[in-house]
Amino acid sequence: MEPIKTDIVVVGGGPGGYAAAFYAADKGKKVMLVEREKRLGGVCLNYGCIPSKALLHATHSMRDMEHSTARGVAFSKPKVDLDKLRGWKNSVIEKLTQGLAGLAERRGVEVMQGRGYFEDSRTLRVETSKGQKFVNYDQAIIAVGSRAALPAAFDLGNKRVMTSTEALELEEIPKNLLVVGAGYIGMELGTVYATLGSTVVVTEALPNILTGIDSDLARPVMRYAEKAFKEIRLNTKVAKMATSGKQIKVNFTVEGKQKEETYDRVLVCVGRVPNCKDLGLENTKAALDEKGFVKVNAQMQTGDPAIYAIGDVVGGALLAHKAMKEGRIAVEAILGEYSTSENVVIPAVVFTDPEVAWCGLTEAEAKQKGIPVQVARFPWAASGRAITFDRPDGLTKFVIDAESERILGVGIVGVGAGELIGEGVLAMEMGATARDMAESVHPHPTLSETLMEAAEVFYGYPTDTFVQKKRTPLP
Amino acid sequence: MDVRVPRLAEGVESATVANILVAPGDRIEKDQVILELETEKAVGPIPSPVSGEVARIHVKPGDEVSVGQPLITLSESGAAATAAPPEPKAQPAAQPKSARPTAPEPARAAPEAAPAYRYTSATGAPPPAAPSVRKIAGELGIDLTRVKGSERGGRITIADLRSYIAALQQRPADGVAAAPAAAEKRAPQAIDFSRWGPVEKKPQTSIRRTIGQRMHESWNAIPHVTQFEDVDITNVTNLRKQYGPDLAKKGKHLTLTPFVLKAVVAALKKYPIFNSSLDEATGEVVYKKYFHIGVAVDTEAGLIVPVLRDVDKKSLADLSQELNALVERTRKRKVSLEELQGGSFTISNQGGIGGGHFTPIINKPEVAILGIGRSSLKAAVKDGKIEARPILPLALSYDHRVMDGADAVRFIGELVGMLENFPEELLKD
Repeated sequence: MEPIKTDIVVVGGGPGGYAAAFYAADKGKKVMLVEREKRLGGVCLNYGCIPSKALLHATHSMRDMEHSTARGVAFSKPKVDLDKLRGWKNSVIEKLTQGLAGLAERRGVEVMQGRGYFEDSRTLRVETSKGQKFVNYDQAIIAVGSRAALPAAFDLGNKRVMTSTEALELEEIPKNLLVVGAGYIGMELGTVYATLGSTVVVTEALPNILTGIDSDLARPVMRYAEKAFKEIRLNTKVAKMATSGKQIKVNFTVEGKQKEETYDRVLVCVGRVPNCKDLGLENTKAALDEKGFVKVNAQMQTGDPAIYAIGDVVGGALLAHKAMKEGRIAVEAILGEYSTSENVVIPAVVFTDPEVAWCGLTEAEAKQKGIPVQVARFPWAASGRAITFDRPDGLTKFVIDAESERILGVGIVGVGAGELIGEGVLAMEMGATARDMAESVHPHPTLSETLMEAAEVFYGYPTDTFVQKKRTPLP
Repeated sequence: MDVRVPRLAEGVESATVANILVAPGDRIEKDQVILELETEKAVGPIPSPVSGEVARIHVKPGDEVSVGQPLITLSESGAAATAAPPEPKAQPAAQPKSARPTAPEPARAAPEAAPAYRYTSATGAPPPAAPSVRKIAGELGIDLTRVKGSERGGRITIADLRSYIAALQQRPADGVAAAPAAAEKRAPQAIDFSRWGPVEKKPQTSIRRTIGQRMHESWNAIPHVTQFEDVDITNVTNLRKQYGPDLAKKGKHLTLTPFVLKAVVAALKKYPIFNSSLDEATGEVVYKKYFHIGVAVDTEAGLIVPVLRDVDKKSLADLSQELNALVERTRKRKVSLEELQGGSFTISNQGGIGGGHFTPIINKPEVAILGIGRSSLKAAVKDGKIEARPILPLALSYDHRVMDGADAVRFIGELVGMLENFPEELLKD
């Protein structure tokens, strides 16, 4: 059979893959996008970011109405129509995936549904529903992503043990739900189910929730979680799970003691693993690192000069926007343009209640590495806007190079933190100093003011709070 | 102390502040460039006459300044600050005695005045610059840690990058400066040959230029070695006499080249490294399992190398015919692009026009080429007696990165053996 010839083949139609394919097509390349699922969008759109945010929005408004009573506006107790909620969530996915398909078509990106397998450095075999197809390419971009890890000990073949993918299907609202892992996925989905009516217990093997986040940013989330969840057990390991009728029997190890409980459902959120297997990488010169991710250089090029890899499959932060940026870097490298993944600021957002968002250097990291920094904090209790919507449980902070006053890190916790962090990213990418931030007028009354005021705290003259010692006089 | 506007050039009394390269609080070294002044003629850096800390900056970009006006105030911290003449000493010395003002002299003082700047931060952060600035610097191959930023916190702007490049161009190549390679290459000076007699100028044809580029590229990239050998072709000559007339009746003209082609394929099969290419990106040697042999053809426009496919699978008689047709088409410039591609080894036969040993240039990405001269009767020792025999000069150029001299000797030995005892069955199809 005559192989299909293309300039670039992108394997995987998630955010990294379609961003790379679209960009390459916009730059004049003949592009083929291979996706094993019927719909484009990958985990992010179909089983991750988008459905979880849709559900979080629905449940957030439920809580908001509840809190409203204290403000003198009472609503009757919300009724959850699970089918309708699931249907709405699915319609959100449908709308966005159809949008993607249209965008691919308008650019002339050929989408092939099937599983890609590298025959050699220049040939991809695609298993489609209509048999095998061979694609000859000049460059390939691997963007096959990752999947939720389900350790063998928890894999009972029982649908009551879920990963995030199944949890987002929203089959039922279990009476008792155990969430294993207090990382961002566990905390977000735990919040959804708790609001919908489940009694939720969260366990975490490590001593903190949201490991890696500065403790002052995690604190408001912890305070909220303590109220929303029945229990948060830190330093707790799940030793064993077993099917027990219509329930799951779970054995814990807490501080050396054994404990056994039964749950209606268990949600396992213990990390994600790259989808590098069954890809035929062994037929190319691409290599994996010791953690099983595809090894790439700063131009996203693998050990095989014709093959690039981006997104979750290369490790680092497993985030859609990181994959999208890497997709652009790979395409620019293929086009011979200068592009590098070095010193790119990748923000992170946790959509808990309240949200946490950060970028650049964290305070904890600076401390651990002995980097000389100053930290400026502006508590939202001093923000007029936060008080007007009754959520003063927030904080905006900067990690600043004391010498050059350059902003090295931004951390925000509070409602809508995810929407605010973009300004932090821009500030960092532009090499802004705290002075630049302090002198840029922000509209009042908004939460964005907290960024300006945190920078003013650094100089000792914030309007809405008081700092004891002045650092430098106003010029 | 104050750093003041130095004497710029004869007749030039004022200038405009173009860039300020320091900020209050910066610790600066003697001779470090603190700002740049622009006159009608050029932009020139102003070095600091002493070390110290910048206490105040009295001017801003765009300000019109006059000779003697204070630019910045330094607080002389430490004993290192030595009183220096108010003007950098290099300037008056370089001042030409011309009535016309030329340029602000500081521009010429730049090589000494711009010390190798290095951005460092205790935080380990890279130099602050916007993504757009980083991208341009990356494309030009400029290391941003060497560029002094003029904005808050040392942020590097496009203007800073521009003045850095301008300074690089004024600086003599000292090997240290990370000057972009393109900036260093200069067009060679045109020589006026008509000074010595009449000349005529004709442009090179595009094919000639392409040949030139290819040859230059191959010659630069490949360490060439050429192995010489002589081969007695009595046997081949006899075979041609024996089979030639019959084939000629069928319209197939039997020349020497097909014999060499067959001998080359036999040697390539025995020593496959000669039928390979080097993948420089991966460091792999790509062995080709096919035998497509390029044949250099001398055309009016210049050298063209069409390729004979699958030489191993074709009979000598067919090869003969195909070769003649291909050469004919090549001379008429009627070969297709495909016919010029995919060769795995090349033969350059000068025998038709004469020639002895020569050193052919490898047709990259191939790794070897065989040059053939004209056969002529030479005194050879045969069974202890001197005899006149037809001797063919051979020259094998090879890529010494891929193979060694011993390989070349073995390969050429195989060729000689084959040509001296050419298997007759290859002529019977």
